[in-house]
Amino acid sequence: MGLAKYVIRRLLYMIPLILGISIVVFLVMYAAGDPIQIATAGNPSITEAQRQFLREYYGLNDPIPVQYLRWLDHFLHFDFGKSLYGGKPVNEIISIYFWETLKLQLVSILLAFAISIPIGVYSAVKQRSWFDYIFSGISIAGVSFPVFFLGIIFILVFSYQLGWLPSAGAHGAPQLWPVFGIQNPILDELAHLAMPATVLTLAGLAYNTRLLRAGMLEVLRQDYIMAARASGIPERKILLKYALKNAIMPLITLLGMSIGFAIAGAPATETVFSWPGLGRAYVTAASRLDFPLIMGITMIITIMILVANLITDISYAAIDPRISID
Amino acid sequence: MVSLALRKRGSRKGQERRSASQWAVAWRRFKKHKSGLLGLGMVVALILVAIFHSFIAPYPARPDPNAFLPLYEGEAGQPPSWKHPFGTTIIGNDVFSEVVHGTIYTLYVAIGTTLIAMLITVVVGISSGYLGGKIDDLLMRITEVFLVFPSLLLILVFARIYQLINPEPFWNVLGISIPVNLTMIVVIVAVFAWAGNARVIRGEVLALKEKEFIQAAKSLGANSRWIMLRHIFPNILPQVIVIATLTMASAVLVEAVVSFLGFGDPSTITWGRMMEESFQNMSTTWWAEVFPGLAVFFTVLAFNLMGDGISDALNPRLRE
Repeated sequence: MGLAKYVIRRLLYMIPLILGISIVVFLVMYAAGDPIQIATAGNPSITEAQRQFLREYYGLNDPIPVQYLRWLDHFLHFDFGKSLYGGKPVNEIISIYFWETLKLQLVSILLAFAISIPIGVYSAVKQRSWFDYIFSGISIAGVSFPVFFLGIIFILVFSYQLGWLPSAGAHGAPQLWPVFGIQNPILDELAHLAMPATVLTLAGLAYNTRLLRAGMLEVLRQDYIMAARASGIPERKILLKYALKNAIMPLITLLGMSIGFAIAGAPATETVFSWPGLGRAYVTAASRLDFPLIMGITMIITIMILVANLITDISYAAIDPRISID
Repeated sequence: MVSLALRKRGSRKGQERRSASQWAVAWRRFKKHKSGLLGLGMVVALILVAIFHSFIAPYPARPDPNAFLPLYEGEAGQPPSWKHPFGTTIIGNDVFSEVVHGTIYTLYVAIGTTLIAMLITVVVGISSGYLGGKIDDLLMRITEVFLVFPSLLLILVFARIYQLINPEPFWNVLGISIPVNLTMIVVIVAVFAWAGNARVIRGEVLALKEKEFIQAAKSLGANSRWIMLRHIFPNILPQVIVIATLTMASAVLVEAVVSFLGFGDPSTITWGRMMEESFQNMSTTWWAEVFPGLAVFFTVLAFNLMGDGISDALNPRLRE
């Protein structure tokens, strides 16, 4: 029913949005001052001629509209230019960090989604039971706990105190591979992944359970649930088929949004665990004002968020027959 | 007979009181909400600490040289003790004093951000929902742009640019020195904190617009501004208060992240800044890292608990 038409319309609609965002970010960054001046401020031996050469090399002498159009031309060819630090192509930098972030985020988002369903449903069904009180308490504490601080606590306990897990990075050197006495690169990867993934899962879990519990409580109060009960449908079927299907909608919105935002990584958590991901790369780029890299990562994330939103909207129609794509 | 009449009058009085103000009803319901009350108590405690910080903290705040007194007494990097309840940092500051002095900045961030963000939220939400048409289209397109912005990342870039501009560290307003850079962070965080909520408010206004009392006001000749201010705004106020409390919680979290990553105000010792300073040494002086973090957690929890309580108290669907 016009699915292709809908997708095309949404994709066309994204073009002005992406252009608008890129113009805003571009203008803000170039309003900040001369990037070469900022980049070379710490180098006392650089001469003005060398600075001039760098400006010429990065094309910073042209008027800003010309610079923007050139950036746009490169962007349409999937080229984000070169980093102001080290001169590596931005594409190369992004592709290095992208997979590490994706690995970490996908594991934690999916785990948080899966675990939150039984907890959220059970808390709502057994409202005001000890189970509900304990998990509601934990989840409001979890929502209030700064995620990076949870990471710090994990490092203090599991790395420094107990010495079980590595505190930094995504891989160890071969001589550091032994995990609990077994020398294995896969175990080493898992050991590095364990803490940051657990921290992000717990953070996501706290949000998801609160959302799902509230949704279930709302749905379970509806008349059609009472009607289903009155007609003798097994409670299990009522909960999983009738109630959960409605209560899970906001969670799916959140899932869609978080997968988009996940590409941004969790800058603070990645920094705490020295995780070689996009979030940490962005923090470094932002602190040096490495404009091409900032523009590149921002645009990649924006596009991912837009695409994730589109997929979420399409999946609504698949889950809920009341919502139709027009 | 007499007693019956009295009881009747009494009950009518009770009814009158209930219908007099929905706020009184909400407060009565809030008083029964244990975790909400706990949150309110925690917020009051924070406000008291912020006001009386110079009396509570045993050492003054940096840059006062006396802030480094533990260093001169040979007590740098000490674990928690009676003299230093939260221990001392490796550069010789009393962690407890610093946490106490930091409270006022945290509350400044929470309240400042929320005031600005709620102003934008309410103006955009109401005008978009009530006026509709072209204005609605335009405002919702802008809102969408803000919703897809990876906001935390852009906040970092803005904060860094502002750090480099390097303004005077403090404004002096009526004898109170206000940290300039922190104020800029407040503004930046607020600018990215309204979009989702404005959509929620717009939805509420759309539903409200169709109600009879709005139609009545319109037929009596009230203009749009009057209706928005006197009829729409009071009716969405409960929702606004709930959103505001939750915005305070998230503002504190975002500021802590920004400062922890090193993008904060260089002339203000906020909790996030303390965590940044002690991060490299946390394997030896864990207390200098953990106590400021717990302070952030305590504050965010206080606002969240209070927000939950207010939300339950004002939710008409939960009314028995």
